[in-house]
Amino acid sequence: MPGVFRVVSVVFLLASACAVVRPHERENLTRPGMTSDRGPGEARFRQHQTGAREGSDGGTGEPGGGCGCN
Amino acid sequence: MRVQLIRAIAIVAVLAGIARADGEVSVRGVYYKEHATRVEQPMIDARFDAGDGGSVDAHFLVDAITSASPGSGAANMPFTEKRYELGGGFTQQLEDHPIRWGVLARASVEPDYESGFFGGRFEHDFADKNFTFALAGGIGYDHITNAGAQFAGPGFTAISEHLSNTLLSGSITQVLGKNTVGSLTYDFAYFWGYLANPYRTVITADAGLVPERMPDYRARHAFAGIVRHFLPSTATTLIAAYRLYTDDWGMLSHTPEVRVVQAAGDDLEVGLGFRYYHQSGASFFKPVYPTVQPQFEPYLTDDPKLSPFDGETITARFAVLGRAFGFEGNWGDARAEVIVEYVVQHNRFGNAGIGHVALTVPFSD
Repeated sequence: MPGVFRVVSVVFLLASACAVVRPHERENLTRPGMTSDRGPGEARFRQHQTGAREGSDGGTGEPGGGCGCN
Repeated sequence: MRVQLIRAIAIVAVLAGIARADGEVSVRGVYYKEHATRVEQPMIDARFDAGDGGSVDAHFLVDAITSASPGSGAANMPFTEKRYELGGGFTQQLEDHPIRWGVLARASVEPDYESGFFGGRFEHDFADKNFTFALAGGIGYDHITNAGAQFAGPGFTAISEHLSNTLLSGSITQVLGKNTVGSLTYDFAYFWGYLANPYRTVITADAGLVPERMPDYRARHAFAGIVRHFLPSTATTLIAAYRLYTDDWGMLSHTPEVRVVQAAGDDLEVGLGFRYYHQSGASFFKPVYPTVQPQFEPYLTDDPKLSPFDGETITARFAVLGRAFGFEGNWGDARAEVIVEYVVQHNRFGNAGIGHVALTVPFSD
C-alpha cells in the first residue's frame, strides 16, 4: 500500500505542475472526440463483447459485472 | 432486427417530437458474427436534463444470440436465446460546488441468467476544472441456471447457483494543454460464487468428459491510461490508450490501442482504430487434463477466453449530421453513424465481424 500512495502522490505532484487552461481556451477540449468518441451504446456493447471473448475486463471506470457471459 | 430498428427509430421520432426537456435519444443496431455464434442487438438510449444540474439516462436492449457453441448450451443444433437489459441512472451537479454525484442501476434477464447491479459515482473538479478526481463503486448479484440446455433427458441435473460481484474504481483526468487531455483509471472487481459455465465440459484422460470446475472467487485489477490530442491545423483527434490487467487466476493481459478521428468539414467525421490484445491465460487452463482428481487438478476449464492468445481489432467509422442533408433544428443536429469492425482472435472462437448502425437525435423544449 505505501507504494500505491507514492504513485498517487507523484501523479498529483505532476498534475499540479501542468499549465492551467482557462475556460475560454478549451474550445478544442470540448470537441466530441476529446471527451468521448464512443456513444454509450457502443461502449456498452464493446464491454459486453470483450467480456464474453477475453479473459480480462475493466479499465473503463464503469461497472461491468453480471453480463450473462460466464 | 430490421423490424425492431424501425420500431426504435419511430420511438425516437415520437420522443424527439414530444420531449419537454433538453437531452437526446439514440437508437443503435449491432450485428456480430463469428463462425459458431451470431448476435443481433438493437438498443435504445435516452438522456435528458432533470432540474437544475440534474440529468437522467436510461437504456433498453435486446441481445439475440444464435449459437452452436457447446459453451452456450447447444448440444448439436444451433439455438437462439434472447437477453433483455434495462438500465438507468441519475447524475447531479451540485450548485456552487465543482462536485457531481450519481447513481445507476441495471437488470438483465435471459432464460438461464438473471443479473442485477446497483452503483454510485462521485466526481470532484479541481484547479478550475483542469483536474478531475472520480470514484465509483457498486454491487451486483446474478442467478445462474442451466435452463437453456438442449439436452434435458435422463441424467440431466438442474443447476441453480448465485454469483455476487463488487466493483471499486478510481480515476483522475488532467488537462495537459489547450489541445491535450489525459486520464488514468484503476478498477478493482471482486467476484464470489458460481463462476463456472453450467454447459461447458472438459476432457480428462482418466474420466473422459466432465463438467467444468472453477474457483469460487476472482479478484480482478485493471490499470488504464488514455491520452487525447487535437491537431487544430487538420481538425484531427489522436487517441492513444493502454490497459494492463491482472487477476488471481494468473491472467495477465496487455491492451494497447490507437484511434484517429478526422473531421471533414462541420458535418462529417471519419475514424480509424487499431487495438492489439494479448493475454497469458489462467494458470490452471489446460487443453486436456491428465486427471479429474481434485487433489491433482483443483480446477478444470475448457474456456477459450481463459487460454493464452492474442488478437487484433481494426475499426472504421463514419458519422454525418442531418445538416449535410438539408435538415434543420433538432434533426439538423441529429447524427447518423456506421461502424465496421473486424476482430482477429487467435483462439477457438475464430475471427469476428461487427457492424453498428446508429442514429442520435438531440431535443430541446
